[in-house]
Amino acid sequence: MGSNADSKEIINAEVEAGDFSSGGEISSKLKDLLRKLGTSSKLIRKIAIITYELEMNIIIHSEGGSLAAEVNPGRIDIIARDEGPGIEDVDKAFKPGYSTASESVREMGFGAGMGLCNIKNYADNLEVESELGVGTTIRASIDLK
Amino acid sequence: MTDLHSVLLDEDKCEGCTNCVKNCPTDAIRVHQGQAIIKDEKCIDCGECVRSCQHHAKQISTDGLDKIGDYKHPIVLVAPSFYGQFTTDIDPVKIVIAFKQLGFEEVWDVALGAEALTRKTAQYLKDNEGPIISSSCPTVVRLIKLLYPELLDYLAPFKSPVQLVAQRAKERAIKEKGFAEEEVGVFFITPCPAKMTTVNNPLGLEKSYVDGAIAVDKIYRKLLKKVKNMDVSMDYEEYETPYLGISWGKRGGEADLLSSENTISVTGIHNVTSILDELDRGDLPSIKYFELVSCEPGCVGGVLNVKNPFVAQFNIENLVEDHGKFIEQSLDDYDFELDKEFTPNTVAPLDDDFASAMAKLTELEEEIDELPGLDCAACGAPDCRTLAEDIINGLANRTDCIFILRQQLAELTDEMSSLAHSLPPIIQDEGD
Ligand code: SF4
Repeated sequence: MGSNADSKEIINAEVEAGDFSSGGEISSKLKDLLRKLGTSSKLIRKIAIITYELEMNIIIHSEGGSLAAEVNPGRIDIIARDEGPGIEDVDKAFKPGYSTASESVREMGFGAGMGLCNIKNYADNLEVESELGVGTTIRASIDLK
Repeated sequence: MTDLHSVLLDEDKCEGCTNCVKNCPTDAIRVHQGQAIIKDEKCIDCGECVRSCQHHAKQISTDGLDKIGDYKHPIVLVAPSFYGQFTTDIDPVKIVIAFKQLGFEEVWDVALGAEALTRKTAQYLKDNEGPIISSSCPTVVRLIKLLYPELLDYLAPFKSPVQLVAQRAKERAIKEKGFAEEEVGVFFITPCPAKMTTVNNPLGLEKSYVDGAIAVDKIYRKLLKKVKNMDVSMDYEEYETPYLGISWGKRGGEADLLSSENTISVTGIHNVTSILDELDRGDLPSIKYFELVSCEPGCVGGVLNVKNPFVAQFNIENLVEDHGKFIEQSLDDYDFELDKEFTPNTVAPLDDDFASAMAKLTELEEEIDELPGLDCAACGAPDCRTLAEDIINGLANRTDCIFILRQQLAELTDEMSSLAHSLPPIIQDEGD
């Protein structure tokens, strides 16, 4: 499910590790853009929550990265890329147990508060690719029903 | 001014500076040809523009005391924050008597409705998981309608203390005292434009129970004179001061009275916006009740008050100290239910058609790249992004930006001079 000719990036921004003061800026900006596109407020809320989780993940747990939003036919993708440390066991990170046990999730390089599991609750599709010591790419898709 | 809002502009006083433009939390103001213009559909009556205008060009339209003459039975509602306008050596009962001397037949404390609403909300909190946002500040409700429609369901589904008391007082005068509806005029002494606006444009109601609003600063002097000259021994039989309800006039009063855990009190419109941003992105799971008030620190900070907001807060704290009990009253005396749900009032998308909106969004990003990004507001819009949006919507020109204008002038000048130098020599000779 990569980018194609019909897909259009509406945001692509760097996220610095540890930059708490900018936390939430990207999700706010995306919210504003989606409103301009006439997206329903229910969907906007979902997307804002996902974006914020991903944004904070990068700020708190990674060595920096970027966040992008892509409009595709029928859906919107939020793509988070970071430059490490990577997740050791991706399946484990999805387990609901890790959703609140943020300490353990953190040890795996993830989890601003509710983490991956929370993102999964809001996204219609979620793909995670991660390599220890290299970085993680997460693509969360939300259907534009 | 329209029925929609109560903030208006005195065109003679407006110098066309952009202080208000930059301070408006909803980007509702533009300066065009030296005059500020408020966009009705975006204004939430917070009064920030009134606060930030050094030329006092922003005014608030309220009613005068003479309007009470239109009614056979005028009733006045006193806001909790009003008591903060007096030092604590002035017993609230004197204020009540002074209002009667000014011509009102009945004097009601909005604080009484605040106490009732506190009890009602406490019950509601027990049955609801939350989060719940107080719906008592009309500016906050309008802000949510405009910018956070996804949070509308969290608003407490009750009338505000002002409307609760207005309805109770009005219906009582009709039923128990036999007045006809049009003979009863309910007036609110308002600390802010937002509550003024709810007279004509109520929230969640078919019609307002308030007939007029008089600004605190319009009535204060008259009242103070009466209060100061009042015989201390005077007494007023039926009056009991709702001290706890009066604490609603300052930050925390509302939330503290709920005596529930997990409440938060946030005042000041820009603080409210940032807490709503956090709530919106799901970042505040542990907070159950949000007391949000547009003015800092609470209604005592309303722009129509006369006292320094923090001094007024101090006065209220002193006044309510040592009072720990609600006034005895039945909740059945009030009708808390709204007539209708709070509905969104969002600004239209760039285009109703998704594909065209996408195309316009691209255009918008390109326009933003053309602008210098200094956010100086000299163009009359609060920042470059907003100017770009206005340009896309056909409401402004790129040359409204003084930097672009200067650049284009420079280019034009170059062109003209090169044109001049390219004249045939024969003409140059003749010109000498
Ligand atoms: S009252 Fe508030 S929202 Fe309305 S124009 Fe003034 S600053 Fe903007």
